[in-house]
Amino acid sequence: MIGLTYSFILLPIVNSLFIFLIPKRRAELFRPLTIFLSLIPLGLCLYVFLNQNLKTSFYVVDKFSWISAYGIDLIIGLSGMSFLLVTLNCLLVLLSILSLNENHSFSKGFLSSLMLLQASVNGVFLAGDLISLFIFFEALLIPMYFLMGIWGGENRRYATIKFILYTVFGSIFILAGTIYTGVLSYLSSGNFALDFDSLSSLSITSSQSKILFLLFTFGFLIKVPIFPLHTWLPDAHVEAPTAGSILLAGVLLKVGAYGILRVSIPFFTEGFIEYQFLIATLSVVGIIYGAVVAIVQIDIKKLIAYSSISHMGFVMLGISAGRYLSLEGAVIQMINHGITSGALFMLVGFLYERRHTRRISDFGGLKKSMPIYAGIFLFTSFASIGLPGLNGFVGEFMILMGSFPTFNVLSSIAAFGVVLAAIYMLWAYQRMFNGELTHEENKNVLDLNSKEIVSVAPLLILMLFIGLYPSFIESYVVQDVSVIYESINNTIGISK
Amino acid sequence: MSQIAEAIGFNLIVISPTVTLVITVLILLFFTISVETSLTVKKWITFLGILVTVFCVFLKFGLFLQNGISSYFTQKILLDEFSLFGNVLIAMILFLNFLPIWDTSSKLNEKTSEAIILILMSASGFFLMVDAENLIMLFIGLEIGSISLYALAGLNRSDKLSNEASLKYFLLGSLASCVLIYGVALVYVSYSVMSLYDFALALAYTGPDIVPLTTFVGVLFIFVGLLFKIAAAPFQSWAPDVYQGSPTGYVGYMASIAKVASFIVISRMCMVSIPFILEDFQTFFFVVILLSVLIGSFFASVQSDLKRLIAYSGVVQSGFILSGITSGVNGTSASMFYLFAYILQLIGVFTIFSIISGKLSSNFEMDNIKGLIKNNRFLGISFCVFMFGLAGIPLTSGFVSKFILLTNLWAYEKYFLVSILLLSTVVGFYFYLRPIWIATIEKVDEPVETLLIKKSEYLLIGSLASLTILFGLLPDTLINISRWVVQNYL
Repeated sequence: MIGLTYSFILLPIVNSLFIFLIPKRRAELFRPLTIFLSLIPLGLCLYVFLNQNLKTSFYVVDKFSWISAYGIDLIIGLSGMSFLLVTLNCLLVLLSILSLNENHSFSKGFLSSLMLLQASVNGVFLAGDLISLFIFFEALLIPMYFLMGIWGGENRRYATIKFILYTVFGSIFILAGTIYTGVLSYLSSGNFALDFDSLSSLSITSSQSKILFLLFTFGFLIKVPIFPLHTWLPDAHVEAPTAGSILLAGVLLKVGAYGILRVSIPFFTEGFIEYQFLIATLSVVGIIYGAVVAIVQIDIKKLIAYSSISHMGFVMLGISAGRYLSLEGAVIQMINHGITSGALFMLVGFLYERRHTRRISDFGGLKKSMPIYAGIFLFTSFASIGLPGLNGFVGEFMILMGSFPTFNVLSSIAAFGVVLAAIYMLWAYQRMFNGELTHEENKNVLDLNSKEIVSVAPLLILMLFIGLYPSFIESYVVQDVSVIYESINNTIGISK
Repeated sequence: MSQIAEAIGFNLIVISPTVTLVITVLILLFFTISVETSLTVKKWITFLGILVTVFCVFLKFGLFLQNGISSYFTQKILLDEFSLFGNVLIAMILFLNFLPIWDTSSKLNEKTSEAIILILMSASGFFLMVDAENLIMLFIGLEIGSISLYALAGLNRSDKLSNEASLKYFLLGSLASCVLIYGVALVYVSYSVMSLYDFALALAYTGPDIVPLTTFVGVLFIFVGLLFKIAAAPFQSWAPDVYQGSPTGYVGYMASIAKVASFIVISRMCMVSIPFILEDFQTFFFVVILLSVLIGSFFASVQSDLKRLIAYSGVVQSGFILSGITSGVNGTSASMFYLFAYILQLIGVFTIFSIISGKLSSNFEMDNIKGLIKNNRFLGISFCVFMFGLAGIPLTSGFVSKFILLTNLWAYEKYFLVSILLLSTVVGFYFYLRPIWIATIEKVDEPVETLLIKKSEYLLIGSLASLTILFGLLPDTLINISRWVVQNYL
């Protein structure tokens, strides 16, 4: 079992090196080989799923002594929430490689960067202490730098530098928080214990808790991103290649929310209670702002990027409300948003490869030439809007229900976000697919081929499955959420 | 004879690295002026001399195990953990730089042996400097080392920039030496002592309250002279010009060796000589660190010449190392780790530069590394590793050194300093990632010219890059060594 958890991180690194070492003249091997190699981590997920009771809270799997003089260990562990996110990551990497176009599938640099990204994101979700969390959090910048920089769009230089600097700026706050926590735990216990077990028993004063909460949460919120720290996201999405966008929306945005759930709230609960209203307000502003800005976008990829800001606002609202139901909804919404927005970005990528434009006004009446594509797009849009029976509904409903008792006004306003989502998604669908074929070029556009249908189909099945049977993934997050909820509840109890 | 030798603490082992280098120089000199010898023979003589020097450093470890901290030659030469660490670092720099140094010198035709002699002499001087217990000895070591470096910077006489670099380095460097020797004189005026240990005793004897003003000024001047050598702001103005003008193959050696020796001496001064009055210099050091970080970050962001960029980034790195050294024991140990990791990256970067641009050229525009990853994949990846290391991205030694340094500073409650240093890493990401962008990402219009490099260069750069990653993944050994250096002062 120990080796298995390691291999979620090590296997993609080995895969990436393996791909990188294949000589260039065997370029036709790259894609099939990468697909095969990325099936292995997913297979591992399945194996772990079948053989292990994963409906648990976080437990340590293995330790690795890093700096013995300071008593710092690197720890990896596993929990239900981590497992779900790791599986989502492995699935999205596999599907994004499946959906690659000819240009990218022949570039081994691209494929091995994707694998490295997979390794570092898995590392964040499996990290069992603050140092390894930080290491992987920052290490994922390296593959992302090359993915966006080399294979990005026209304006990629600006977008990449902006993305990197925003993230690094956030991460220095996390580093400062890590160092502060380490020094505090050194003062109380005599070594720099930064693992989650000893942090939960670390006694800190109320003001220290507030400072630490702010340090960590600020860093993570940039990654979520929350309004007004979101401006890197639309640029990054528009310039990133399709596979990069899928992973960026699918899993990288979850890294921030995951960090808040795993670190900020359970360990610095007093700070959370102090600032939860602020975060909730910013989230609701983000929900409405993202949705309104999405309505007026002329670029379909940018529209989905802004819709991500709105959806992640829901996640943050659920987290900041601090109720059992809303926290659970937030975790489920994280998974759902990963699935839905991953699918949307993939679909937009397919369209872009055919027409080399993403302007909504360049399309119109596409339903006639691409009926399958239109059907899949509509289905995914419904999931994104939150139509009952599909996955988006579950998370948003739980979040709104759960956060209403804490923030009546804010969650009432947030409910309008769902209506606005219907406006921007359906209006965009209408302009692109309904009506007459307005552009000559769109007449002969080919519909999705079998390769593309195969790469998007698993996500569609998941949307329906989670929508109809949400208690399946709920059962995996119950334990994680109860730990977080209890820490909030206890702190409120003490302060009262 | 033996009684006299015992009385003055005569011991050849303790100065054996210096002696070996001087003997090598004399042999080279003999072959240059009397017998016609081929370059290959001279290369082997030099290499053998460096190997014996490395061996002599091991001998000093044996002596240390036997005698512990001890002084020799009537309190002129000191053998302690700092001097051993410094010896190891200098021998390592000499060994690792042998390839670029030799390749550069062999391009100088008639002046090959001249250049090698200068380099070996400067190393012998810096060996003396890190070993010095006596302040005069320190000055002599520094001067032997520096004067050779001034000449080295201007060795490419046909190049205007090289001449300018040499002259600038010489004028400013000798001014700094003047300041340093004046400081030594003032310290002597106050207490009539020259030895670092005696100075500490004298200070302890009088107590910190009635220390004469001349002592403060003297110590301040000594620090200024040393800070000049490590290019900390506001004494950094020579560094960019000298790095830019000097023959590229020599810059890695010049930059690293002067820094190592001066940092070792500064940390020994702070630990041994003036711990009682170190508090009074905190403001001074704070200003120096702040200026180094600000000026270095700002100017590094706007450079178009890569050697100048590395020079200004070196100013920032000096600020980092200095902040640990002046904070206390644990900070010093973190700084020693930082120094070690930084030197490896610095040598790696300059070796790559000298391979790309040709050894003697002075200018090194950003465009020179355009398409590096296409021309030579190995060099491209190693360059990225070194740059990531300098920026401090996790999984490289740069991250570990920044992390432990900042942790120690936080433990000393220097919150403001930590926040400044953290912010400077964000700026650092900007200017370190720019060369990576140009080397790996920027589209190249010209057809790909494969850059062929020698096997020995593969080995050198490969081992430096893998050490950079290794110390990031498994830093434990090096951290224990850096803690061993300061163990007596804990």
